Amino acid sequence: MSSETKPEEKEEKVGVYICYCGGNISDHVDVEAVRDRVEKIPGVAVARTNMFMCSDPGQELIMEDLRDGIVDRVVVASCAPSLHEMTFRSAISRAGENPYIYEHANIREQVSWVHHGEQATDKATLLVSAATAKAVRLKPLEPIRVNAMSHATIIGGGIAGMRAAVDLADRGIEVALIEKSPFLGGQLALLDKLAPTREKASELVSHLASRVINHASIKVHSCTTVEHFEGYVGNFKVGIKKHPLESNAYKEKMKMLNPVHKSAEAFIPFAGVYSGPVPSAAEELVIDTGVIILATGIKSYTPYQGEYGYGEFPEVITLSDLIRNLAENNNGGSLLEINGRKIKSMAMIHCVGSRQIPGIHPEDASGHLNEYCSRTCCSALLNASNVIRETYPKTRVYEFYRDIRTYGRGQEELYEQASKNRVVFIRFESQEAPEVSKNGYSDEFPLLIKAKDILTFGEEVEVPVDLVVLATGVEPNEISKIVDMMKLPVGPDRFLLEVHPKLRPVELPVSGIFLAGTCQAPMDAGEACSGASGAAVKAAALLSRGYVELDPFVADVDIQKCNGTGACVEACLSDGALELVEMEIDGQKVQRAKVTPAFCLGCGACVAVCPENAIDVNGWTLKQYEAMVNAIVAE
Amino acid sequence: MTLIHHDFADQMDRFGGNTALECFNCGTCAAICPLIYEHFPRKMIRYLQLGAKDRILENAKELWRCLHCGLCSRTCPREADPGEVILGLKRYVVANWRKS
Repeated sequence: MSSETKPEEKEEKVGVYICYCGGNISDHVDVEAVRDRVEKIPGVAVARTNMFMCSDPGQELIMEDLRDGIVDRVVVASCAPSLHEMTFRSAISRAGENPYIYEHANIREQVSWVHHGEQATDKATLLVSAATAKAVRLKPLEPIRVNAMSHATIIGGGIAGMRAAVDLADRGIEVALIEKSPFLGGQLALLDKLAPTREKASELVSHLASRVINHASIKVHSCTTVEHFEGYVGNFKVGIKKHPLESNAYKEKMKMLNPVHKSAEAFIPFAGVYSGPVPSAAEELVIDTGVIILATGIKSYTPYQGEYGYGEFPEVITLSDLIRNLAENNNGGSLLEINGRKIKSMAMIHCVGSRQIPGIHPEDASGHLNEYCSRTCCSALLNASNVIRETYPKTRVYEFYRDIRTYGRGQEELYEQASKNRVVFIRFESQEAPEVSKNGYSDEFPLLIKAKDILTFGEEVEVPVDLVVLATGVEPNEISKIVDMMKLPVGPDRFLLEVHPKLRPVELPVSGIFLAGTCQAPMDAGEACSGASGAAVKAAALLSRGYVELDPFVADVDIQKCNGTGACVEACLSDGALELVEMEIDGQKVQRAKVTPAFCLGCGACVAVCPENAIDVNGWTLKQYEAMVNAIVAE
Repeated sequence: MTLIHHDFADQMDRFGGNTALECFNCGTCAAICPLIYEHFPRKMIRYLQLGAKDRILENAKELWRCLHCGLCSRTCPREADPGEVILGLKRYVVANWRKS
């Protein structure tokens, strides 16, 4: 880092590089005129233009000037910094210079896309002049380097959490896997034959859970919740609490445990894999960890009382109920039997609790509407229909749907197969949903479904049935406590929101926290594993060097000026970033402000309140701002 | 109101033309049919699919409009063989119309 006492009189040599953006800028801004004007600004050593400054030849222009010693500060006037600031900083690094001697002027989004003609050229000139004025005062900075613990904490012991845990542990990273229930396997453990391959969910869960439990580098914390969170990337502290069984809701499932299961990691149908003894008393622990992966998952939507007769008629059940019944009851006859009743005819209703439309569907008790598609129910329902038609050929199946969305590989074939299996499809409009009522025609079938069928040109059809199955969608698990603690972004659909769906699909804006599986969006088990493996790779890459580098745009105290008023500490928004410490200056014990850079957000709240101007944000100092404003109001 | 009879598709097996459940209601048959008459033969095939046998008997006359040119069967993307289904329905109607 350059010394604080660098002589002011030394001339900085600013290079200004102005981009045409292939016409995006130059159609409205006279780029050559801007170049001519800024070339005359004191401190500017050279001003150049290029059709695409971000192209290799464009970057080479900058790198050559740096290598030749013509310039030692760089201003690029182009698009928004979010797009190419990193591009040009890295070009500077490649030329062997400090990447923080760089300033970016946005003359596309802020000029050529919104202004035209002479005014556009004038504004572009002003913005470039301001950037140049700041560039003259830029100091080389060093990224903040903090040690990163080779340890990952994964929250959620479903398929995604387990997948991420195994992937990370295999890379030699210690893993703490936190699961709120006594079982591993999550929602997947509640399924049976998975669409589209009819692979057994129990086999997948058992396989992964056994690797998790037996892996020397994975510590499973079951019956555990996350209570506390602090720290920063590489050095998080996660406070967890282990709960004895009395205080949680898994008693029913625990009853299924027999002594055999208690010793081995066997799969218990519709519960999961028992991962070890339940704590006998509450216990609180703190885990020091380098990264966190959220795999908090989903739960099944519960229909409201009366939704398609749910809760009114015992013959109306959810898809989850059906799957469990299919797995547990195998009477071997030609008719499916559910709750002792032979099913001659049954209806499957799609999109229950998914793709809800404001004004048509009622909001739930907390005012939520699930406007998204749950993505897995169409395939799961068709899969169940096929299993039923193939196992119980005398049981008739009718599917009532709005749209069939068998989006994944091998899933459209389920629809083909259902047609071959003589499943009858009836299509309804969202505003004219089927009505489930008591069958008034005969006692043979207890229920009657009325629907206005689009496929029969809007004619009303009546289907007498023994059973109605609701394809309930999914909802994210309630994790508001974790969201608040970690300050995570949540989408309007209540799922966690990644930084960018394509460019940074498993990352959250809080550095060091990643997303895995269905806490991010509805997914099937395969997609959840893809996401989890992605998160594991990202986490491993971050931890691999043993340290992480953070941007150096953090507060910096001038000890000479600071007199310990503490105003900055009070104004600080980030816990732990600023504190008053005792130190000795000229033989006297005094209080002075001290910054912990890893916690600092670089927001500048401290700068605004310091009566002594003794604190500044590196890369955005008051002096630099003043110079920019002066450049804008000059003339 | 159309009441659905669950076993109708199976009853149709003995009359031939039991491929109606292959149909995914695209409408190609109705578009290609030279009769250009009220969604014929698509609607009839749909009634069969559903098991709406009352509708079929009510509208039985329509079946005899068919010229059996074979265009629908040739263009059907699902090989549901609409022409053969119409023939099967004719046989069914002949066997059942007095009963209704």
